[in-house]
Amino acid sequence: MNDHLIRVADVTKVYKTGKVEEHALRGVDLSVDAGEFLSIVGPSGSGKTTLLNLVGALDVATSGTLHVLGKDLSELNRPQRADLRLRSIGFVFQAYNLVPILTALENVEFVLELQGVGSERRDRAREILDTLGLSEFADRRPNELSGGQQQRVAVARAVASKPQLVLADEPTANLDGENSEILLQMMRRLNEEDGTTFLFSTHDDRVVAYARRVIRLVDGKVAEDERKQGK
Amino acid sequence: MMKSVSFTYALRSLFRHTRRTALSVLGIGIGCSMGILSASWMGGNTEMQIRAISESGGGHLKIVPTAWPETRQNTLRLQDPKEALQAARDLPDTRSVSVRASINAFLAFGNRSAGVEIMGVQPKEEKQCNRLLFRGEMQGRYLDSEDQGCVVIGQELSERLDVTLGDELYVTVAGKDEIRSAMLRIVGLLSVGSRDLESTFCHTTLQELERMTGYEDAGEISILLKDHKDIPKASAALRRSLKGENEVITWKEVNPGLAANVEGDTAFMRGMVSMIILIVSFGIASAQITAVLERKREFAVLTALGLKGRQLMSLILLEAFFVGLGGGLVASLLGGSAAHLLSTRGVDFSAMMGDEMGFADVLLDPHIYGAFGAWILLYAFGVSVLASLLASLYPAWLTTKINPTNALRTVQP
Repeated sequence: MNDHLIRVADVTKVYKTGKVEEHALRGVDLSVDAGEFLSIVGPSGSGKTTLLNLVGALDVATSGTLHVLGKDLSELNRPQRADLRLRSIGFVFQAYNLVPILTALENVEFVLELQGVGSERRDRAREILDTLGLSEFADRRPNELSGGQQQRVAVARAVASKPQLVLADEPTANLDGENSEILLQMMRRLNEEDGTTFLFSTHDDRVVAYARRVIRLVDGKVAEDERKQGK
Repeated sequence: MMKSVSFTYALRSLFRHTRRTALSVLGIGIGCSMGILSASWMGGNTEMQIRAISESGGGHLKIVPTAWPETRQNTLRLQDPKEALQAARDLPDTRSVSVRASINAFLAFGNRSAGVEIMGVQPKEEKQCNRLLFRGEMQGRYLDSEDQGCVVIGQELSERLDVTLGDELYVTVAGKDEIRSAMLRIVGLLSVGSRDLESTFCHTTLQELERMTGYEDAGEISILLKDHKDIPKASAALRRSLKGENEVITWKEVNPGLAANVEGDTAFMRGMVSMIILIVSFGIASAQITAVLERKREFAVLTALGLKGRQLMSLILLEAFFVGLGGGLVASLLGGSAAHLLSTRGVDFSAMMGDEMGFADVLLDPHIYGAFGAWILLYAFGVSVLASLLASLYPAWLTTKINPTNALRTVQP
């Protein structure tokens, strides 16, 4: 059961606002293996982001079990979940979310520093930027970069610690077609070369086109789970 | 050495809102400057009061008969005064040691009279340790150790008795076994700028007092140290030497009223300074809370990336540390300059004190100078950094409560 990278079993998530209960997830079952390039699609409010929050150990499920990278998330406390995120999960956000007062290089280096990487972290951060063709942006701050460039730096930050899993929430939502292509190709390359598992939540058909597996959520349930040949 | 990104992050965060940071730095700097100025004033004033009290006859330490602290009878005499004197002289860092004895007396001249406490002294030693003598103006001369039948009195007392230099006072004292009397010739009239002190000042030699009263030996040994901060150490050493004979008391026990006054002033000033720093700290806490709430999303992202609560707190506290350093710099410059001015120019209270420079047997200084020294830097940076860190504890703790799911909320960049 725990051979999968991610195993979600009968997971529900209920948000309570006063006396009102909102069922974001209603018994989701799915498993993801290492090396997958997977898109979660569905209309707004279908539970995509909630599922990403739970898999990313940012939030806890109301019921059900959730194993990520062999760990039962319900058994982890807050610092242990933070440690899991820091060492094994990378995040790419729709709004890029780079630290605005740090340069591209420092944004990448920051994650390595938090991981406790010593004096070689600067070289490693620079190497990652080089590998992803971002070396010319290394010393620029986010406000000196275009949206596409920022998102590529965000991917570099996400993979800096060589995580097994990268979660990307609507990564192309703010990008034009050309930048979306560049970004998706970059992530595909990381998936193929390093075996990093990518899990997207998206509305974007371009992302879906690259995915090798598409899970459709409707009203907090898995409505469709399709495996296909990605672009 | 490579600079850490956390360090860079904390430092650059200060420049996101330059004006807010500048105001925080200025606020804490001004608060600490007021603290420095108050501490300088407090230090200088306390120093002045202790010096005035100890030099006005009290000494920093006194060796007195065992029963004296309870009874305060001036007919009591020391046990083995020679050994006590030697113990006092053996103390390191003493400025002077003076041996004295007192007795209640009734002075009369013609149809005028006055009740006083005559003090028998060793003239040479007394001149070194009694500010009434080395600051006052003497008409005639002070006593000499070879003098017999001589007395020096205050100017005010001479006016009350209507006497002048060379006049002979008829002195009646409560002797050891009976009432005794003697004639003492006035060789000096002392003016010190205090009618109170001048009306009670009456010195003769210790030998003369012994002769008049029949009480032998000294009633007290007054010790003036080079620095009042040595009192506890010197007092303990003296007690060890005396082995239970006689009693060692400090200026606070000799003048409990004045000691309470000094301590009251100090406590009040400390209270005021604490209030100022507390108010400034609340201001900084408020600014920091605003800063934290503005960066809520950024902290959520950092938390999502794996930053732990204590690491987030460290980042905020590092920022607070830098604000504290800035405040310390402002306080050093502003407070340091003000304290330097206070220590060099002082404040002149002559006009306020008028003709009365004495208070409770103490000849005060009309000019008060503030304390100044390297401690100001320590105070400025220490208090500023500490206040800034304490003020930032709650805002820093708030960051640990930020929900990391905020990071995935879809907001346009």
